[in-house]
Amino acid sequence: MRMGVSGLPAWLVQRASAVYMLVFIVYLIAHFGFDPPDSFGSWRAWIAGPAVSLATGVFFCALLAHVWVGMRDVILDYVRPMAARPPALAVLAASLLILGAWLARILLRSQG
Amino acid sequence: MRLSIFRYDPERDAKPYMQAFEVTLQPTDRMLLDVILRIKDEQDDSLTLRKSCWEGVCGSDAMNINGRNGLACVTPLQGLNQPVILRPLPAMPVIRDLVVDMTQFFEQYHSIRPYVLNDEAAPQKERLQSPEDRAKLDGLYECILCACCTTQCPSFWWNPERFVGPAGLLQAYRFIIDSRDTARRERLDDLNDAYRLFRCRTIMNCTEVCPRGLAPSRAIEKIRLMLAGRS
Repeated sequence: MRMGVSGLPAWLVQRASAVYMLVFIVYLIAHFGFDPPDSFGSWRAWIAGPAVSLATGVFFCALLAHVWVGMRDVILDYVRPMAARPPALAVLAASLLILGAWLARILLRSQG
Repeated sequence: MRLSIFRYDPERDAKPYMQAFEVTLQPTDRMLLDVILRIKDEQDDSLTLRKSCWEGVCGSDAMNINGRNGLACVTPLQGLNQPVILRPLPAMPVIRDLVVDMTQFFEQYHSIRPYVLNDEAAPQKERLQSPEDRAKLDGLYECILCACCTTQCPSFWWNPERFVGPAGLLQAYRFIIDSRDTARRERLDDLNDAYRLFRCRTIMNCTEVCPRGLAPSRAIEKIRLMLAGRS
């Protein structure tokens, strides 16, 4: 049974997204550890920078892809009735899409 | 020594129960199987288990020992917490006491076609293999199919009908990597879906409990990397 990404693609997405998120989190810790913003204005200016904004957007895309693969695995394991799986996956996909749209809105508004 | 052993005779018992035993150890008792057979000889001859070689080669006396799968014949008595709790291999249908139905395990094993596939013309004698290629099979061919690894794997517990399981995947890699086998592509294709290989979450219970010291999780990772490498 194949649902969305499966097998190798899902495994690669999960690992690639994990590596990117790890690198980004290390960067965040280093940035806020060594050069913390001294005001809300400087924090907004930092996050509004094109490189940081793009990297943050990719981070959340990686997070959503990672959650999709992980939660899909949980559903395949624990939701045993086959008829219940499509609705469960649909709820998951809709939730992630709403979260993604919300994150995109926040990031786009930070540009203004 | 105190033991608590899973008992279930479907012809007599409404449901399984744990039965307590107390055994006086003799100087010749070294391994857990010695004590189980002493119980069977001296206290309750209805206690049912599989056993054969007594030296960790046949794999028939695999059971869950204090929560961890192992072979009773190579489990030293020294160091076992008491009471020693003995249960049949997890997630397998119980036939009686410590004997489980291995049908599903062997169906998954057979599904990977555990034999050399070669569509080239048969040579006059044997298909030769270099020492280097032969060395690639070390750590793979030694599997005795005791099912300790597969039945300790949560992914197999959830999807026994679809996930091949660590023992089957170790053997799959054994034939994928065999220089005499010409069906590598088909073997990899067969494993590339959401269940047969990729249900593995690298929990590594399999490698932890293997009584032969093999590493199914490493073989599984190598199959995944081969799939990734060819895509």
